[in-house]
Amino acid sequence: MKILLIEDDREAASYLMQALDEAGHVTHHAADGETGYAMASGMDYDVLIVDRMLPRRDGLSIVESLRAEGNKTPVLILSALGEVDDRVTGLRAGGDDYLTKPYAFTELLARVEVLARRSSPGEAATSFTVGDLSLDRLSRKVERNGEPILLQPREFRLLEYLMKNAGKVVTRTMLLENVWDYHFDPQTNVIDVHMSRLRSKIDRGFKTPLLQTIRGAGYMIRE
Amino acid sequence: MSSIGRLGQLLRTTTFRLTAVFILIFIVFSVLLLAFITFQSSIIIQRQQAADIDREVQRLEDVELHQGIRAVAFAVDRLAAEPGPGIYYLGDANGQMVVGNVNTFPQAVLRQQGVHSFNYARPRLFSSEGDSDNTPPRPGYAVVRSVALPSGFMLVVGRDVVERRGFTAIIFQGFFAGVIGILVLSIVAGAITARRVLRRIDAINATSSTIIGGNLSERVPVTRRNDEFDGLATNLNAMLDRIQGLMQGLKEVTDNVAHDLKTPLTRLRNKAESALREGAREDERREALEVTITESDKLIRTFNALLMIARAEAGAPSGALTDVDVSAVVGDVAELYGPVAEDAGTTLDSQVAEGVHLRANRELLGQAMANLIENALKYGRPEPGGAGHIVVALKQVGGRVRIEVADNGSGIPVEDRLRVLERFVRLEKSRTEAGSGLGLALVAAVARLHRGTFSIEDNNPGVRAVLDLPAG
Repeated sequence: MKILLIEDDREAASYLMQALDEAGHVTHHAADGETGYAMASGMDYDVLIVDRMLPRRDGLSIVESLRAEGNKTPVLILSALGEVDDRVTGLRAGGDDYLTKPYAFTELLARVEVLARRSSPGEAATSFTVGDLSLDRLSRKVERNGEPILLQPREFRLLEYLMKNAGKVVTRTMLLENVWDYHFDPQTNVIDVHMSRLRSKIDRGFKTPLLQTIRGAGYMIRE
Repeated sequence: MSSIGRLGQLLRTTTFRLTAVFILIFIVFSVLLLAFITFQSSIIIQRQQAADIDREVQRLEDVELHQGIRAVAFAVDRLAAEPGPGIYYLGDANGQMVVGNVNTFPQAVLRQQGVHSFNYARPRLFSSEGDSDNTPPRPGYAVVRSVALPSGFMLVVGRDVVERRGFTAIIFQGFFAGVIGILVLSIVAGAITARRVLRRIDAINATSSTIIGGNLSERVPVTRRNDEFDGLATNLNAMLDRIQGLMQGLKEVTDNVAHDLKTPLTRLRNKAESALREGAREDERREALEVTITESDKLIRTFNALLMIARAEAGAPSGALTDVDVSAVVGDVAELYGPVAEDAGTTLDSQVAEGVHLRANRELLGQAMANLIENALKYGRPEPGGAGHIVVALKQVGGRVRIEVADNGSGIPVEDRLRVLERFVRLEKSRTEAGSGLGLALVAAVARLHRGTFSIEDNNPGVRAVLDLPAG
């Protein structure tokens, strides 16, 4: 995947570039807003990672300009401002996701990989299949190996989100944001409990477990 | 302050200026009133004189009619000799004076019958005393009526108006004396009032200066007069109390932050050091680094909670509050924690009224709900062996929206119920549990942000945490 990182903090940038490189991505770096904007509009990237506060040009204005030009490259906004209002402004400016500093690299990587997915057709699909598990978004039916599985509405949405991003790590925060639409930080293992219930419904009694826990990161569904 | 500066300040005060304006208005009205009175009284006097003149003329005409012209001459002579402002003249057809006390009429008076007024030289004073022929004539102003009698004689009866003018002059004099007196009194009264006001304001200013100088414990003096200055002083003092309270709170929070963040920072540092220790095994290093990350995540979480409280305390602009389906938020969060409660052997019931909407901050409300339920799960467990029972309720009663999270745990002692709402306050029994001590402080801040209250009530047994918010 080809990623453009627009970040003025050299140390954070070099750490991120190294880590993204290890994760198998090609990363370009711009250290200020103007250079970043020129690179983003001049070249084709899969994902842009844009810091919100940048010298010479504000991160949000870069995103706004790109969107005005019809550039639909997914954007992950990084910011030290983490309040609800800041997030809303960031997303309204055209950002696709918003991550507050400080963040865990696993969280950033998971979000970047899920974002890149969006430019591929998976978003509009009406059904997903992972191995012998299938989910129909229209009839809201889930089957494994031909047998129907009954899920609560919330469990259905959890599975739907996981299957839409099959093969990708999704973090607990991403699940809370996308399935429950809350951005707060639960202190207990609320998401894990929900996941273990979902797992017992789709994996119990089958040889190959599909729902996997990725240690230190989150969850992933794959064959 | 120099006395000139002091005077200048006095003249610049609002009280003094107001007094000056009122004096000016008073003078304008008085002059208008005086003009009116003078005008009216001179008209009345004029009418009266005219009536007097008419009556005398009438009487003299009657005298001529009944007793002849000689009697008239006698009568006129007698009248003319009386002291006073009377003007009398009786002359023959050739214009020769027969009797009378004035002989210097303009020609028109004798030629044309009717009322005339003119300047003339008065040969004698009004009073007969000291009157002699060598007294020089003095200038006068006369109003007269001339009548041609049937016998051919010319009769003139009139009054010297100088006396009338004297009356007007007396009114004016009295009036001016009054106005000047009032003027002087008002200026003095205005100055005194202004000085008093100035002194009160100076006191307030002096206190403000001390406070600006850094002494926040200073207060504006309040007198027993209970006037508007005392009202102002009381309000200022209340404001100062509030500021002092906030400063105190800020100081406490800063101290708490320093204390509560130093502990995990120290742990963090120790762990990092132990990872670098000579002879540490690879798996020990790894474990130490993992703990380092966990600890820093906790720190970040504490920071976020503090920031969130600060943001809620500062009171977000009302634009940041949007229409929120509170029923959905309460229901969502209860549902989110349902499985956790179940795993912990606690039943979580939700009794949520449908369709309750508020202007609110959805995220903060959600976070507050999550904090309350997590607290109930953590501390609301009854003694070992008992089954936990949590009830999440949302009701709308009249203009209030009540969100309740009740448990059947060991409860919070009455004396601690307010204290637990403060930042970083953790009761002894909760010290062992993970947590920042900020959960309820955030809930309280969220309640204030929504102009509501947060309180901890007795659930007998257990705790009922109540968010009471105004609807609409």
